Amino acid sequence: MKTNLLYSLAVATVFAGLCYGQKVGEPAPDFKATDSNGQMHELSEYRGKYVVLEWHNNGCPYTRKHYESGNMQHLQKAWTSRGVIWFTVISSAPGQQGYVTAQQENEYLKRMNAIPTAALLDPQGTVGRLYAAKTTPHMFIINPDGVLIYDGAIDSRATTDQSDVATATNYVSQALEEAMAGKPVTTPTSRPYGCSVKYAR
Amino acid sequence: MVPPSELRKALDWHQMESVSLGTPHRRVIRAVLYFLVLVEIARILLPTTALAQTHGEEHVKVELISEQEAIVPHQHLQLGIRFDLEEGWHTYWVNPGDSGEPPRIEWTLPTGFQANSIEWPHPTRLSTPPFVDYGYEHQVLLPVLIRTPSGLAEGLTEKMIAHVRYLICREVCIPGQKELVLKLPVKDHGSASSNAPLFESTRRRLPLPIPKGWNISATPDGKEFRLRLRIGKVIAPPEFFPLEPEQIENAAPQNVSATPGGLDLHLRKSNHLLKPISRMKGLIVVAGTAYMVDVPVLQSSGRD
Repeated sequence: MKTNLLYSLAVATVFAGLCYGQKVGEPAPDFKATDSNGQMHELSEYRGKYVVLEWHNNGCPYTRKHYESGNMQHLQKAWTSRGVIWFTVISSAPGQQGYVTAQQENEYLKRMNAIPTAALLDPQGTVGRLYAAKTTPHMFIINPDGVLIYDGAIDSRATTDQSDVATATNYVSQALEEAMAGKPVTTPTSRPYGCSVKYAR
Repeated sequence: MVPPSELRKALDWHQMESVSLGTPHRRVIRAVLYFLVLVEIARILLPTTALAQTHGEEHVKVELISEQEAIVPHQHLQLGIRFDLEEGWHTYWVNPGDSGEPPRIEWTLPTGFQANSIEWPHPTRLSTPPFVDYGYEHQVLLPVLIRTPSGLAEGLTEKMIAHVRYLICREVCIPGQKELVLKLPVKDHGSASSNAPLFESTRRRLPLPIPKGWNISATPDGKEFRLRLRIGKVIAPPEFFPLEPEQIENAAPQNVSATPGGLDLHLRKSNHLLKPISRMKGLIVVAGTAYMVDVPVLQSSGRD
């Protein structure tokens, strides 16, 4: 009995250290997080809708590429107007690049004309580690049944050049279009590109 | 940003410090101080975008260098891009791992000159838990062989331009780009440049073909790939660097187990891998030497 418990503890420790996240095609793990307006969101509340998760760090040159070109705002507007729930998730730990207070994030959203459904503050990195979010940006799509259908890069051009946005294939829009049309997703995973998520050390 | 009053104070303080020095020294020191003040004022007045652009240069020096001091007709020309990185900063291998981006070069060369692709020295694992990147710290040379046309006339000077884009990271990442120019004369014989030793030591970090008698195979096994290495006796556990992204989890430990006549390297499959793969390409680094691995993935275990 005691040995079993010790063994379970050892296994739990190993798995806590090695978090590989969920696989596309499997149910997306549920989470609770507070947004920059103090409102709590739980993923399972949004069953029946598509949910996009966008990992974000406002100081990262790759994030800046997609905000300063207006690409991210365009995607947020286009997809939320079609009923998609869009969560910007900030997993930078206090003191690390991209960490923001609720007020700072609201100022940022206003200044950038960004319109996600909500910006979730995840300074402990709980949601980030649950999904094994690696980079900013790193994009996930969850379908109305709560199944993960996309995990990867925002698009096909892994650079910091704004001029590449126009010629890139946007994997998020492609996956949403295909899934909404009842088609299989052509590119369900890709290498997310960007700065590493600045988790608490 | 330092307000002008602070600058004046700093200047006064320095002047007080120099009181005991003779007049000529004071004049020199004053000139140097005024120069520093001007630099500071320029820094304050310059738009912030200009500062952002030069920021990358504070942490890395990027140069286009040649192994030989001249271009010799009927011989290839060995050039390279040298990165000298400040302590703590790194740049990336061709597969950068969990984050980052490899350097890219666009060449503008004289007519008939052609650049091969970068020959990537083997990288090191750069671990920032929970991530692992593949890249270079301190100094790295990325060699590029330039093929020259026939009929080059001696006495000419040829100009080669490398437009390099790169990313360097520490806790934060800074993208940079540089236009590097190198002019070399055409001579009937070349002598080694002062950079030749760096080219020589870099060659030892380029991957070698698998030696005769070695046997490497890859098999899927549940959540991992087993890379079976029959490579004779090894003193240190080999490391595998995947050339294709998203085949294995970069940050997973590469456990080693002994098998008859060799060892198995256990590589955790990437969570992004949804279909079986047919080949596994990468480097294995054994005691500091890299070897190219390109093997079919056998579909034998039946478990996946």
